Amino acid sequence: MSKRILLCDDELHILRAAEFKFKRAGYDVVCANDGQEGWERIEECRPDIVVTDCQMPRLSGLALAERIKTTPATANLPVIMLSAKGFELSAEELRVQYGICCLMAKPFSPRELFTRVESVLTGELQPATSAVA
Amino acid sequence: MVFLSGNPRDKVSWTTPLLDLGLQWIGVIPGADGRRPRKHFPCALLAAAPTRSEKVRMIERRALTLLPPAGLAVVCAALGLAWALEPSLAPGGWAGRLGVVLAGICLTVLAVRISLLQSSKAAESARRYIDCVCELDAQALSDEHVLNTIPLRKGDHFWREVCQRVRQRLAEFSKRAEELEMARAAAEVRVRRTIVERDQLREILAGLIDPVVAVDQFGEIVLANPSAERLLAVKTDGEDHPALEQLQRCEQLVSMLSETRRRRSSTLRSAEVTLPDDEGKAHWYRITCRSLASQQEKNGATDRCTQQGAVAVLTDITGQKAIQKRNAEFVSAVSHEMKAPLSSIRAYVELLVDGEADDEPTREEFLGVINSQADRLQRLIDNLLNLARIEAGVVVVNKNPLSLNELLQEALGVMQPAAEKKQISLTSEFSPLYLGVLADRDMLLQGAINLISNAVKYTRPGGNVVLRSRLSDQEVIFEVQDTGVGLSPEDCQKVFEKFYRVKKDSDLAPGTGLGLALVKHIVEDVHGGRIEVVSQLGQGSTFRVIVPGLGQLNA
Repeated sequence: MSKRILLCDDELHILRAAEFKFKRAGYDVVCANDGQEGWERIEECRPDIVVTDCQMPRLSGLALAERIKTTPATANLPVIMLSAKGFELSAEELRVQYGICCLMAKPFSPRELFTRVESVLTGELQPATSAVA
Repeated sequence: MVFLSGNPRDKVSWTTPLLDLGLQWIGVIPGADGRRPRKHFPCALLAAAPTRSEKVRMIERRALTLLPPAGLAVVCAALGLAWALEPSLAPGGWAGRLGVVLAGICLTVLAVRISLLQSSKAAESARRYIDCVCELDAQALSDEHVLNTIPLRKGDHFWREVCQRVRQRLAEFSKRAEELEMARAAAEVRVRRTIVERDQLREILAGLIDPVVAVDQFGEIVLANPSAERLLAVKTDGEDHPALEQLQRCEQLVSMLSETRRRRSSTLRSAEVTLPDDEGKAHWYRITCRSLASQQEKNGATDRCTQQGAVAVLTDITGQKAIQKRNAEFVSAVSHEMKAPLSSIRAYVELLVDGEADDEPTREEFLGVINSQADRLQRLIDNLLNLARIEAGVVVVNKNPLSLNELLQEALGVMQPAAEKKQISLTSEFSPLYLGVLADRDMLLQGAINLISNAVKYTRPGGNVVLRSRLSDQEVIFEVQDTGVGLSPEDCQKVFEKFYRVKKDSDLAPGTGLGLALVKHIVEDVHGGRIEVVSQLGQGSTFRVIVPGLGQLNA
């Protein structure tokens, strides 16, 4: 059974590029344009992994990650964050406070993103929630 | 009163003749430089002219000295005459001779007495001369010509000499007195100037916004201007010098001043601290500290053990800090804005390179995205540069009187195709009056285009955009009204900020968040006008530009 991935970004072109990459790799891709929509998709589709942008309207990537972490049903859902504000966020803080297992700076490489997602899903990169626990 | 000068040691020799005149000593005054009289230093002597009764007594004394020899001479002469006329009456030959001898002696004495009287007359004349000289003021005394006009009786060289010497000395003293007076006046001017300068410095220090604190070598606060007193809650009035440690409000300032006093180096030390102001609002201050070398040390008398004073100036850098923060935020915002199109470009280029796009339509789609994102990046950079150039004042503003209606018509023409494409009705309602404005044509046109372009962008197909112009008092107004998505009150406040984009509307059209910031700059900074926005969510917005008019004429 193919893995289901949720891509969450307000930049449609980026969403499209990532969607294209993962679809070709055989993933079941779900897209959302902002954090709020992302949370709704999580609730209805139960993805295996979430890739989200940081700055988004309505609900930011950080708020989404926090909601995922604090909701028991999704507490173990791995979250990868893409952000243009790479240097302003500390990976450690993100890991501890928001349960984000991996931070990728924009501009990003779809190839690299794919590798990261794969390694998280295969367990090479431990999801933050379990690491913290 | 006569004012004389001479060496006190020789007083007897040169003052006796004067005393003979009946002048009386009053005293000795110190030398011209104020020191005690010394051996060879000429000092001044004071003598008083004789009074009237003294004059009478003097004449009587002279008469008495003349009477005995005169009487004796008359007796001797009578005897001699008797002997000569009648030798028989004479007591003898020897008696006659004795009478003649005595008469001779008496005549001699008489002559001497007469000469003395004569000399005393010369002395009278000298005294009169001195009296005349004494009447003169300092300026006349120093004038040789004036002195020479005072008649001096001829005949007595001694008195003439004395008088001349006196005159010379008087002239010297007068000159010296004049020099002293000048020196005193100069000193007084210096003192006054110093007082004025000191008061000025005090005023300047008091007027300084920057707090200034100075401590002396004993670690006591000797100076704190009103700003410092307020900020640091310390009082320094008069002789009361509080200890440095009393500056409890700012420990860092205390330690810096102490350190500067100890180190004795003249290098500046600085640090940044936050301190609360009167209202408790935190302000950033940069403390600059330097040591105060005392006068002694400047003169080379340095003592290794002594500490020295120090002065600290606190500069309020809250504004600078805010600018730094704004700059950092601006750079962050710019980089964020640039990263968005760059991310897309990079992602799609990689997909193409990796050969992910199998078919031609996909490849074309990807290339289209890359192209549009590159355009977006280009637009962003252009806008940024324009904004930076206007802000920095690098752009040459070329203002000319022009018709606002014509300019708006041109902007309308530029934007009409875009509006038609989106099926938006773009119309104008211009004032029938000639609206003259002094403006940079290109800039104001850019501003109008930006406003119309925004209205078109955020109005859904089928909507209306109206461009109006009118005259109000001395001002010229143009506004762009749309039936678009509208703005919330919070958005209305922020919409002119750089990079501010209304999130919910960002999907409606591409944008950099710089267009309105640019318009605001063009209107307010370049043309001295103002820009307002009136809007209601879902009902549309009106952007109004008000610029000073240039006198009105009927069209």
